Amino acid sequence: MAEGAAGTTLTSRAFGLLLRPEASVVVVSVALVLYFQFANAYFVSTANVQTLSQFVAAPVIIACGEIMLLICREIDLSVGQVFALAPFLMENINDVGVPEPLAIVAALAVCALIGLMIGLITIGLRVPSFITTLGMLFLITGLTLTISRGYPANTAGGPVLTGIMGAWAYSEIVWALAIVAVMHVLLRHTRWGLHTVAIGGNLLAAAEAGIAINRIKIGNFVLTSTLGGLTGLLEAFRVGSIDPLAGGSNIMFLGVASGVIGGTAIAGGAGTIIGGLVGGIMLGILQDGFTLQGINAFTFDIVIGAAILIAMIANIHLARLRGGGPQ
Amino acid sequence: MKRERETPAVAGRLPRRALMQGVAAGSVASIMAAAGRPAAAADAGPYPQHPKWKFVFVNHVTANPFFVPCQYGIQDACALLGCDYQWTGSETSDVAQMVNAMNTAIAGKADAVAVCLVDPKGFERPVEAALAAGIPVFSYNADSRSTKRLAYIGQDLFLSGQMMGERIVKLVGSGKVAIFIATPGQLNLQPRYDGAADAIKKSGADIQLSMIATAPAANESLSKIDAYYLGNQDVKGMFGTGGGDTQNCGLISRKYNLAAKGVHAGGYDMLPRSLEAVRDGFLDFVIDQQPYLQGFYTVMEMFAWKVSGGLVGPADIDTGLKFVTKDSVGPLLETKTRYEGSAKDPQILPHSGPIAG
Repeated sequence: MAEGAAGTTLTSRAFGLLLRPEASVVVVSVALVLYFQFANAYFVSTANVQTLSQFVAAPVIIACGEIMLLICREIDLSVGQVFALAPFLMENINDVGVPEPLAIVAALAVCALIGLMIGLITIGLRVPSFITTLGMLFLITGLTLTISRGYPANTAGGPVLTGIMGAWAYSEIVWALAIVAVMHVLLRHTRWGLHTVAIGGNLLAAAEAGIAINRIKIGNFVLTSTLGGLTGLLEAFRVGSIDPLAGGSNIMFLGVASGVIGGTAIAGGAGTIIGGLVGGIMLGILQDGFTLQGINAFTFDIVIGAAILIAMIANIHLARLRGGGPQ
Repeated sequence: MKRERETPAVAGRLPRRALMQGVAAGSVASIMAAAGRPAAAADAGPYPQHPKWKFVFVNHVTANPFFVPCQYGIQDACALLGCDYQWTGSETSDVAQMVNAMNTAIAGKADAVAVCLVDPKGFERPVEAALAAGIPVFSYNADSRSTKRLAYIGQDLFLSGQMMGERIVKLVGSGKVAIFIATPGQLNLQPRYDGAADAIKKSGADIQLSMIATAPAANESLSKIDAYYLGNQDVKGMFGTGGGDTQNCGLISRKYNLAAKGVHAGGYDMLPRSLEAVRDGFLDFVIDQQPYLQGFYTVMEMFAWKVSGGLVGPADIDTGLKFVTKDSVGPLLETKTRYEGSAKDPQILPHSGPIAG
């Protein structure tokens, strides 16, 4: 039976949207928002939306970088440590007399160099990125502790700079959305993104097609480390204090989880930045909502873990229905 | 063809399925979360009917056994007064996570908030926001004078460090001494080291003091203390500033039989291994900061504030600094009580005989 003419275009477009991998996550997120609002009248309040945006922003920015790497079948485990290192770099550079905005740029440049180093070791010396970044994880942790002598430090800078860099309540989420927009365009509408997906989809074919695999992968490592450093700076300015214990594997896992929940395949080859955003939003809703509910710390982890599992099971079954997953 | 006819049917099922699975996710989560739902009103003895106030405790190491008696203290006080509590924060002393938890508590209009102020500046903004929203804020276990909390309930950390320093001078006399600290710079531990260093310096004793950073996790810190001893076998004293490090000093002292070699050790908190080490002579003392009271008295202060509309002013409470030595450790080891965190059941422990000073 052939489909009707103009009348079904809108419906088929709506179905088309719902068939997208991110749709199931959005549906689950909306259901969660309704549930939490029913359970606690303050969920949808200005103060809580602000707090929620702060839960969401950091993992989403990290996810943007990790998704690019996951798509081309790599991973960066050390991004949480670069997160902790960057504010100390900025503080040290600022201490020798460099003005704050330049110190921020210099710190990000060092993070980019760390990403370059990771890329060169992984590609040049043919070490699996899991291992390279595992080694870098410990190395950078030690570097952070050494630079900071284990002590927390204060953030410096005038109200405008600190406001832009995270102190204003909504600045982090604005940064996150801007980065998501840029990365989405990068992934979907530039050659870089196209080549990244090609490398993840079929490495041999990509090589045969003349894609500069090494350059793309190294570039993605640089991108991830820089985004990790930027996130660390934003969080440090938000809290007003630079903490050597900040970030770590926890934020890295949250970033990777946001990407995976939003539809990025752990094995590589597929993924979207928007998926990372909605995945991050869902994780943020869960964390913020259950804390607002008054769940105690011990049961909190049980509830979050179960909620993530349920959301992913829902996601995967919907993928099967779309015909995308294993049959 | 058959396949084409199936596609619209599949697509038709999708939105309903997605919705149902979303609802299923939400309802399962709600069943699990049902335990945390507070009741509407509470009956609290001599006080008139009041809503079941919710007190949020933000902690830096939510899973640390030291705070188990603190949580029991909170539970008992809340049960006594008809209030409810939430125990949240970070497991890894992550200040950003604690700030998130505080902000959520403010957005959720908690009735009072208590937070361990482990960072000198990190909590200033959330505390100000809470006070501006009419939510009283107390600090417990760790304090920062620059943050505008209403009161601090806990041990006077600098003073306790000074007292430990004086005792170190008495025990060691002269020589190399190491004081271990899990998270340098954090305000629940650093003032203790600073106090000890201050007292040792003021005494004029010939002591070479080193501050050695270990790790928040007890097993890591054990390896580090072991490594330190092996590299510095001429050390005359090894002391901890926190429960984990103190316990590990005791374990290392036992491992290498350091007491017989004239090496002194001691520290804070009453973890079971630490108490055993005191009994067996491997630790000279441990300092109790009474975590049960840190929870119990904080709830009392919150309740007094709520019930009097802030007129009954908050006051700093020093939950004490008690040196536990070989003579006094016996009863602590023999009993397992809720007040020390080693048992869950409520108990009354009878006391007989004179009370030692």
